[in-house]
Amino acid sequence: MRRWLIRVSFGIVGAAAVCLLFVWTGTLSPLNSSPNPDQSERSMSLGKAIYQSRCAICHGDDGKGEGRAAALLNPKPLDFTSGMYKIRTTESGSIPTDEDIARAITNGLHGSAMPDWGPFIHGDSLKAIITYIKLFSPRFKEEKPRIVHISSPVPSSESSIANGRRVYAKLQCASCHGTDGKGAGATATDLIDDWGNEITTANLTEPWTFKGGGTARDIYLRFRTGMNGTPMPSYIGSASEKEMWNLANYVVSLARKPVWAMNAEELKAFYAAADAEAKKNPVRRGKYLVESFCEGCHSGYSADGKVLPEFKLAGGLVFDLYPFGKFTSFNLTSDKETGLGNWTDAEIKRAITQGIQRDGSRLLPFPMPWTSIAQMPDDDVNAIIAYLRTVPPIRNKVPMPEKPNIFSYMWGKFEMLILKKDAPGYIYPMKDFRQMEHDAKSGTVGGQVSKEPQSTSANSLSSPLVAHNENPFGNEERGAQQ
Amino acid sequence: MKKFLRWSAIVIGCLVVVGFLAFLYFIPPLTMVPQTAFTQPLAQALDAPLKSIKDPAEKILAERGKMIVGHSACSDCHTPQGAQGPNYNEFLAGGGMKDEFKLYGSVVSRNLTPDKETGIGMRTDAEIMRVLRSGVSHDGRVMTPVYMPWFDFSNMTDEDRYAVVVYLRHLKPVWNKIPGYSPLSDFEKLSETAGDYAEHKSLH
Repeated sequence: MRRWLIRVSFGIVGAAAVCLLFVWTGTLSPLNSSPNPDQSERSMSLGKAIYQSRCAICHGDDGKGEGRAAALLNPKPLDFTSGMYKIRTTESGSIPTDEDIARAITNGLHGSAMPDWGPFIHGDSLKAIITYIKLFSPRFKEEKPRIVHISSPVPSSESSIANGRRVYAKLQCASCHGTDGKGAGATATDLIDDWGNEITTANLTEPWTFKGGGTARDIYLRFRTGMNGTPMPSYIGSASEKEMWNLANYVVSLARKPVWAMNAEELKAFYAAADAEAKKNPVRRGKYLVESFCEGCHSGYSADGKVLPEFKLAGGLVFDLYPFGKFTSFNLTSDKETGLGNWTDAEIKRAITQGIQRDGSRLLPFPMPWTSIAQMPDDDVNAIIAYLRTVPPIRNKVPMPEKPNIFSYMWGKFEMLILKKDAPGYIYPMKDFRQMEHDAKSGTVGGQVSKEPQSTSANSLSSPLVAHNENPFGNEERGAQQ
Repeated sequence: MKKFLRWSAIVIGCLVVVGFLAFLYFIPPLTMVPQTAFTQPLAQALDAPLKSIKDPAEKILAERGKMIVGHSACSDCHTPQGAQGPNYNEFLAGGGMKDEFKLYGSVVSRNLTPDKETGIGMRTDAEIMRVLRSGVSHDGRVMTPVYMPWFDFSNMTDEDRYAVVVYLRHLKPVWNKIPGYSPLSDFEKLSETAGDYAEHKSLH
């Protein structure tokens, strides 16, 4: 009897405890109350941390798409404050769903500098960064994404592709994309997006460069949803669902083989055609070469290491290479006084392939890599010159190389060759140099002092160009406080 | 005594002049060396990996890659420096460019040869192309701009980037260990990107 009583009382106590536990956790569970502020705060700081270390370099700290590398990238990074996303599964003009943003981050956007972040940003990090990005635009609070209904696909067949070709003509795709999908005979050639940036139409024969992907479903979605902020509209009113699927099948059928799938004969023919095309249109080839090799050094930078679009190709990056001297990248625009406007073609060619300046003096083999440009085929060098002639003039007076006096040069060489010291080299923008030097001297910059007297200031001057967003002086101060 | 001083001054003066001339003779200023002394060794080093390629398709791609690697001056930073200019025996083996930042750590050019342990032998094509397209290295770090001008190479076509990768795969593998990314011990304290640092740590 007593044992039974004990058992019952234990049971009652246990049940009460379980009930209490349920009640207690119930009050904490996010289902019953507002989300834990701690949790969301942590997620927010994680989002901010990821944004600043991974995204801000192109999209900017303020999300306006004006990060430090943005001016040189083509196409330009997205402006998050507008809420206009190109690759969506929502109606034209609508904001994207979270899945759309997640897909763009995970897979990247082909044909642009947006990489596939999938291996590095996933799970909670992905959620945090999406939440953070959405904060830039008030539209995400006010609106709801209007998701499109994707109709059942039309399987690819000869008749579907033939129909698609007719739709291509009917919708006047050729006016931007050309009759062959590569831009031949296109009438609208100077396209700009809503932010005033020049954009190029997609080459429809290269599906691996399509931002939203190259499958028929992806291409159908671009017709269905349009690409916000670009001249690519939604065709929902002007074409039926079936027509859009046929058109998607037609675009898929335009694809050519990429070089990684070609055999030797195809490659030979492909590169021969590319070279012939380059010879026919040297300005275009020159633009490609200059944009992919010259701009990084021959552009103006702000104090915090941002490429200034108004000083693109106007030079002004200082290379301080002890003991050889200070070299400032030259103004390559066609400005008569400060740029290449008065140079002849032969003078430019001599400078970039033999390292001989206009006055006949020689350049060192660095930092201007004329030894490398000397390896270029002649046609490409001519193409570069042809393009540089078309660059609009920008006035930016660049100082000539500053050479050290003979004694410090000799001493520097002695240090390098006999004492085996590493020669310090610094890179910093010319424009803000004076102001920053002043700051450095007046004691704003403290911390470790390196051996070379000039490197103390130069080291901190070059640090803005490191992949971090903070002002180095701000960092110093914070370091000192802690 | 006066005579002795004068003579010793003359001797020292002569020695200085002779020494200076000898120095100039053995290590002339770079602007006195003929241009071909710079361009020819580079051209030879660039051509060397092409000879051993058997597959005709790969050979054409590698030739294209060689052209791009040649004129984009990869070798200027990525070839180790000997006493007298770049050491082309270890073409593109990294370490030619070093810089230290007191706040962030060091910048050292990577080993681009297909060495399995220290070079790109352990990196996939996609990883190498991601570096060239977006400046994101295999561990997810955004590369130091200006030093590695990825925002220039980002404007290349994917096909050209692929040709570069094919060429790099055929370089002579050189074992040259480059120190990894080494944030300073107080990196976490100094940086607002503590979350990023934690992420970076978990990847290693």
